Amino acid sequence: MSTPKHIPLIETKKLCKSYFNDDLETPVLFDIDLVIERGEFVAIMGPSGSGKSTLMHILGFLDHHTKGQFLFQGEPATKMDEDTLAKIRATRVSFVFQAFNLLPRTTVFQNVLLPLLYHPTIPAAEREGRVQRAIEAVGLSERSTYLSNQLSGGQKQRVAIARALVTQPEVIFADEPTGNLDSASGTHVMAALQALHRAGHTIILVTHEQSTAEHAERILKIYDGKITDDLRSFKRRHAKDGITIEK
Amino acid sequence: MRDLLQTASKGVTVNRGRSLLTMLGIIIGVGAVVLMTSVGRSMEGVILGQISVLGPDTVAVFPGNQGPEGGNSALRPDFDSLTFADADTLAQLDTVTDVAPVVFVSGNARYGTEESDPRIVGSLPGYYENQTVEAALGRLHDESDERTARSVVVIGSDIAEDLFLNQSPLDKRIEIANKKYTVIGVLKPVGTQFFQNADERIIIPFSTAIAVTHRTYADMIVLKAQGDLDLVLADVTSLLRQRHGIIPPMDGGTENDDFLIRSAAQAQEILGTVSLGLTLFITMIAGISLIVGGIGIMNIMLVSVTERTREIGLRKAVGARRRDILLQFLIESVFLTFIGGVIGVGIGLGLDYVLATAVGKYLDNYTFEVSIGAIVLALAMAAATGIAFGIYPARKAADLNPIEALQYE
Repeated sequence: MSTPKHIPLIETKKLCKSYFNDDLETPVLFDIDLVIERGEFVAIMGPSGSGKSTLMHILGFLDHHTKGQFLFQGEPATKMDEDTLAKIRATRVSFVFQAFNLLPRTTVFQNVLLPLLYHPTIPAAEREGRVQRAIEAVGLSERSTYLSNQLSGGQKQRVAIARALVTQPEVIFADEPTGNLDSASGTHVMAALQALHRAGHTIILVTHEQSTAEHAERILKIYDGKITDDLRSFKRRHAKDGITIEK
Repeated sequence: MRDLLQTASKGVTVNRGRSLLTMLGIIIGVGAVVLMTSVGRSMEGVILGQISVLGPDTVAVFPGNQGPEGGNSALRPDFDSLTFADADTLAQLDTVTDVAPVVFVSGNARYGTEESDPRIVGSLPGYYENQTVEAALGRLHDESDERTARSVVVIGSDIAEDLFLNQSPLDKRIEIANKKYTVIGVLKPVGTQFFQNADERIIIPFSTAIAVTHRTYADMIVLKAQGDLDLVLADVTSLLRQRHGIIPPMDGGTENDDFLIRSAAQAQEILGTVSLGLTLFITMIAGISLIVGGIGIMNIMLVSVTERTREIGLRKAVGARRRDILLQFLIESVFLTFIGGVIGVGIGLGLDYVLATAVGKYLDNYTFEVSIGAIVLALAMAAATGIAFGIYPARKAADLNPIEALQYE
């Protein structure tokens, strides 16, 4: 009896990305070969302009690659239409951004609710409970009626994490999530991401800081659009005061 | 859909002042549509009221070619063109009944110390028939009064009130131009006719009026048409032309005539056309206001899309499809125009009510009219404006690239 063929969660083959301005081509990523398995915590690390954010946007279905292959659970992304991509963004991936990107003049509750408004299968009756659990998980239950501009940077990023986990996606992408935070708040956020990883989510973290990247179990170094290193994080950092995620 | 409506309402209410200013054009446009169609309906009621008492088959023949609006008949060149013999001949036509020549008598009416300024009409008993008036008290004058040129009067209800207050006017003697008349009847109130108060008239026998004024011509001949009105008008015209030796021009025009024929139906048609023309004119202006308002909406929606570019990027990043964003912004613009429309309807109806209350005191039959059709049409037009002018900004929002939108500064 043959074992079924193993299909990784994310796989790229010779993936390239160029930006075009009129006829001028600016290549950003070159021949990226990459496999990310379910449940991994991967940091993509590199200096500014190295292409790490672009790679994350492609892997998160926010942007298109120009050459090569990108397979999500074996399915080539190039064959997906806009609605399918939107559905994947609604159900299987989510994002934590450096600039938080919370809706202004909107409460914590409504910010966390936002992805559920576009989720095709979670019924409206379940929304409130899910939002409350997500807010509780990041320790902001008492602030769920606060407006987003009444929160500190660390709290805003925790709201963004609650928003990312409310749909229980398979992959959470975090783009410089500690970039706008002081070190204490940054530690909190990293602890939250590690807790999400322990709960079974695949985490893909983009950062230019070695110390932040060391919270991951695997570090991909990227330089001038090419992956230069793919390392196990042997001295992995563990942030305390994480969040409570039910497995 | 509920989520979309909530999101759209939040988008509109978050900038209340701006939303309200944006809605102004729509509010004015819709308010004007509702107000003008309601005023149009109310005026229609007034016009119909002016004429319906008479009935559409009442016909009046005036001397000269300028019509009753031509001013004082004594100053017109053909003021004496209608003779009593014309009236007698017209009475012989099969197609008319109740032919009554009219002579106006000048002077005030006085009873004791009370004085009134009525329109004094000398005419035959047929006048009551073709003017559709009845006696509320006493009787109308008849042939026997005509034969003996009796000094009797039938007075309008307002004159009765002016001169006699709460007393019964019957058999009282009133004085008109130094001559005493006995009141034999009071007319039922009829309100205004052709914008003149018909209850402020006094009717005396035709023979008495001639005796007083020594007149040989009529100020007007009134009659009732039987059967097809156009045929009757043609009959009357050809008879009078024949009697007056008038040769009409080749095209059959009326410029050679020394008389003018008006029917209540014609008057109704003219007034109706004027009223419709005015309504259409104002509605057109309201339409322009809606277009201007719509451009304002489009402008502000484009500003809103630019302001909320990052929000649009975020919504796409968390799974919003192109059509979700399109609908969100489209609903927002329709929301703006629809709310503007509702406010406009409220203001239009409010102004209409105030106007109706004020004008209703002076014009009988002017009542507060609400046209549900006009309201529905105005709201539909407002919503359509929202769609027409919201589609471009909404498409612009929906077509944004999520990454570019998220990184927008």
